[in-house]
Amino acid sequence: MTVIATLDPQSKAAARGWSDLTIRNAFILPTLAFLIIFNIFPLIYSLGLSFTEFRASLQKPPEFVGLQNYRELLNDPGIWDNFRITALYVIVSVGGQMLVGFGLALLLNRKFPLKGLVTTLLLLPMMLSPAVVGLFWKLLYDPSWGPINYALGLGKFEWLSHPTNALFATALTDIWMWSPFVMLLSLAGLSAVPKHLYEAAEIDRAGSWYTFTRITLPLVMPLLMIALIFRTMEAFKTFDLPFVMSTASVETVAIRLYQMAFQSWDTGMSSALAYIVLIVVLAITNIYVKYLNKAKER
Amino acid sequence: MKTKLTGLLAGTAMFALSATSAMAEDLVIFWAEWDPANYLQELVNDYTEETGVSVTVETTPWPDFQTKTFAELNARGDAYDMVVGDSQWLGAASTGGHYVDLTEWYAQHGVKDIMTPATVTYYAEYPKGSGTYWSVPLEGDANGWAYRKDWFEDPAEMAAFKEKYGYDLGVPKDFNQLIDIAEFFHRPDDNRYGVALYTQTAYDAMAMGVEQTIFTWGGDLGDYATNQVDGILNSPQNVEALEAYRKLYTFTPPNWTQAFFLENNQAFTEGLVALNMNYFAFFPALANSAINPHAANTGYFANPPGPNGDHHAALGGQGVSIIEYSRNKDEAFKFLEWFIRDDVQKKWAELGGYTAHAGTLSSPEFLNATPYNKAFAESMEIVKDFWANPQFADMLFQMNDRLHPYITTGEGSAKESLDALAEDWNKTLGNN
Amino acid sequence: MAAVSSRAERVWHPIAIVLIIIATLISLAPILWIASTAFKPRAVATSVPPTVIFQPETTAFVKLFTKRVQLKEQPTKEVYDAAPWWEQRIYDGGERVLRVRGNVQLSQYPNRFINSLIVATISTVLAVGMGTFTAYGFSRFRIGGQDDLLFFILSTRMLPPIVVAIPMFLMYRTFGLTDTHIGLIILYTAFNLSFAVWLMKGFMDEIPKEYEEAALVDGYTRMQAFFKIVLPQATTGIAATAVFSFITAWNEYAFALILTNRRAQTAPPFIPSQIGSGIVDWTAIAAGTFLFLLPVAIFTFLLRNHLLRGVTFGAIRK
Repeated sequence: MTVIATLDPQSKAAARGWSDLTIRNAFILPTLAFLIIFNIFPLIYSLGLSFTEFRASLQKPPEFVGLQNYRELLNDPGIWDNFRITALYVIVSVGGQMLVGFGLALLLNRKFPLKGLVTTLLLLPMMLSPAVVGLFWKLLYDPSWGPINYALGLGKFEWLSHPTNALFATALTDIWMWSPFVMLLSLAGLSAVPKHLYEAAEIDRAGSWYTFTRITLPLVMPLLMIALIFRTMEAFKTFDLPFVMSTASVETVAIRLYQMAFQSWDTGMSSALAYIVLIVVLAITNIYVKYLNKAKER
Repeated sequence: MKTKLTGLLAGTAMFALSATSAMAEDLVIFWAEWDPANYLQELVNDYTEETGVSVTVETTPWPDFQTKTFAELNARGDAYDMVVGDSQWLGAASTGGHYVDLTEWYAQHGVKDIMTPATVTYYAEYPKGSGTYWSVPLEGDANGWAYRKDWFEDPAEMAAFKEKYGYDLGVPKDFNQLIDIAEFFHRPDDNRYGVALYTQTAYDAMAMGVEQTIFTWGGDLGDYATNQVDGILNSPQNVEALEAYRKLYTFTPPNWTQAFFLENNQAFTEGLVALNMNYFAFFPALANSAINPHAANTGYFANPPGPNGDHHAALGGQGVSIIEYSRNKDEAFKFLEWFIRDDVQKKWAELGGYTAHAGTLSSPEFLNATPYNKAFAESMEIVKDFWANPQFADMLFQMNDRLHPYITTGEGSAKESLDALAEDWNKTLGNN
Repeated sequence: MAAVSSRAERVWHPIAIVLIIIATLISLAPILWIASTAFKPRAVATSVPPTVIFQPETTAFVKLFTKRVQLKEQPTKEVYDAAPWWEQRIYDGGERVLRVRGNVQLSQYPNRFINSLIVATISTVLAVGMGTFTAYGFSRFRIGGQDDLLFFILSTRMLPPIVVAIPMFLMYRTFGLTDTHIGLIILYTAFNLSFAVWLMKGFMDEIPKEYEEAALVDGYTRMQAFFKIVLPQATTGIAATAVFSFITAWNEYAFALILTNRRAQTAPPFIPSQIGSGIVDWTAIAAGTFLFLLPVAIFTFLLRNHLLRGVTFGAIRK
């Protein structure tokens, strides 16, 4: 991170009007307060709820049950299934996005006419609403009246029928939506690779594979890692797309959580599940950040 | 630029404010997205003409109707004054304190003499037999069947069918015949399939199809009075019924694991299937030749009896209830008084609503109003319902979880699936 | 860029161009399919084989904006002839438009669309406004534990929203914020604020502090310097941050589904609910989707340079 020279609060000029201290507090404290009230307080609240037997649908107050919710959840094979499904979904969709996105960036990293326009057009899918677009993908995938099977000559292939197919089909839509994001970060990384390195490689008559693995990849790696972190976090909490597209038959953790919290109204139990999810996300992010730092050091 | 932005902001804020104040005296009824809700909107427009109070029917799609309603009720929100809620909800909504008790109002207005007794019990009373009422029967409904008359009456098909099964092709006289017919017309190579079934697990779609088959085999989902499940839910006839539903599933079009009325109707109008399971209230689209090219060749029948002659249909339909958190309860009561008037009920039926009004239901005009009303009237005589207790939502989920895999993949067995479901239900019901 | 101008590159270049064209087409095809379906006659919307060439019509948009009911019998010729063209199209489709006291009854779509506009606009203004101030504070003043605070602000963005949905629901119930515009605005502001601070800090750090110091020497107060010198320099950053915040708020689905119902419901949870009463009417859904996607598509296009910079900027900063 760049070091920023701060202004000198002792300067005479700064003493006119509001003092720097006042300005600093007025600029920063409201935001901190806002984030604490609307992000941190709910977290503490649901941590408390996770140790209780409580249904928001009943008038009964929460009843403290200790770790029972966590015990029950961790012993429920269904929950493990949800995590397995989510993991598979994350691997397929994020893996696909990394490949497609980075591939696209490599393709785009050259001079050609209308480059700006093409890049913008490629970005479009990630700007759209997953819930709204997902609905339409249901039509595209339909074996009897959708255009995809017709265009690809897949006959009656059932994209969304079996939960496993549906998982891959949903992940494919996710790849369609989010590869542009990886592409964009990779492009930023590629354009930052100093030209003289390539020129040096050329002089050394290095093969293009060598140039790619020894120069391009290491230098783009930190940005690829960032894209990976972002996409993993997002994919892990995906709700809209599978919810809309597979009518919730691809039961990711987020969908299970939604059902538990807002269909069964098992508020205490679902708070506990929310916490388990939170811990898993934090753990994954931590591992990634470690690798990121390693990649940066190299 | 800055002034423009300020102007825009002020404008939107004003709009937001005026939008809230303008809604103060209106009534809002919440229902699911289907034709009857459109008919209801048309009906209540008369109320607006008469009284100046505007009534809006808000809708949400069937699969999340229950979730949306209970999210609103549990948030104690006042967005809706009334809800046209499913019969299964009575337990949860009344014990949760969300519905206004209408018992006294029933007595004052003699509602029990106006509406058919069975509908009052199904759509309004909880607990059953207690004489406590929570809603006014609004839309009666039952699960029935549509079929392709032209395919059934094709001489070549008829001869081939007779050859294969030894009896005449026609409206099935029992459920096993229905399975035969589905099998007969199932020709995936010709892009023709036997039957469109309910399989969706987002709400109660699959459960309705399955329970109907179970009732048809003479089975039950449990004893609703004592909460007993063991030996009833996993009885031999229920196992057979579930196997029958599974068999029927093998004659559905591709991609049929999450189908409800929309998919069923679409398959039918696209000419994909011979038979289409659906609630009667979803049939107007099939009788409309602008939407269904086969409208003239579409016939309807009530769910056929089972192997032992048990004749049942899954209950659909809803009653309208006043929401406890409404700010317009008095106005809502006035509306209900208007709604049960004889002339309004007659108009309701004319518009296409399935009235529960005794006098209207039995009239010949009603029976002949649509090609499916006769089958509807027949079905309403034989309806049975799902659990209506406070735990019904959990029980539905468990049913979806346990039975859907067997029905759609054939993995495991019907017996194992029902045993597992019985165990879940025992836990949910607190049976030990 | 063509950094490697080797012989391999000369062979590779045309192939790459072809691949780029293919990728762009694949990427755009679903969006084009939505747009074209919005203008298709209903009968060909789900035809097999798919219809590509058709006479475009606007019936789907008429459907989107009106309340309709199925026809039981055809209208008489006088009634049909007296109806305006768009109502005739509805008659042709086997439906009829509902009227109260002679006035056409509108569907909920315009209302939901306006809700989306209100909520996304106001929450964007709030998040970007607060974010800009805070970013300036972090950028220019010494703050104890600055890095920890910044990380804290960023980390609030990492929470899976569904994790905070339960306590939010209970809090909103207590304070009567469910199904209100304010409730959603607060929520989306909270979503976007951390992101806005973090993105804006990157832009603020880029603005040389010498400009302000010169202004202070000229007799400006710090506040004047901030408004007159710093803000104009930060417009690119503000624009990029605003677009991202707006898109996040505009597209949000899960919370809108849980926390709003009728008064404040935005378009994303509403559009899927308009799938038609007896059978899916894909043309009307496509029309609703098309109109909803249009602002974002236009935005993306107009502000494409800011967007490219915004994304890469934030990422590099992190």
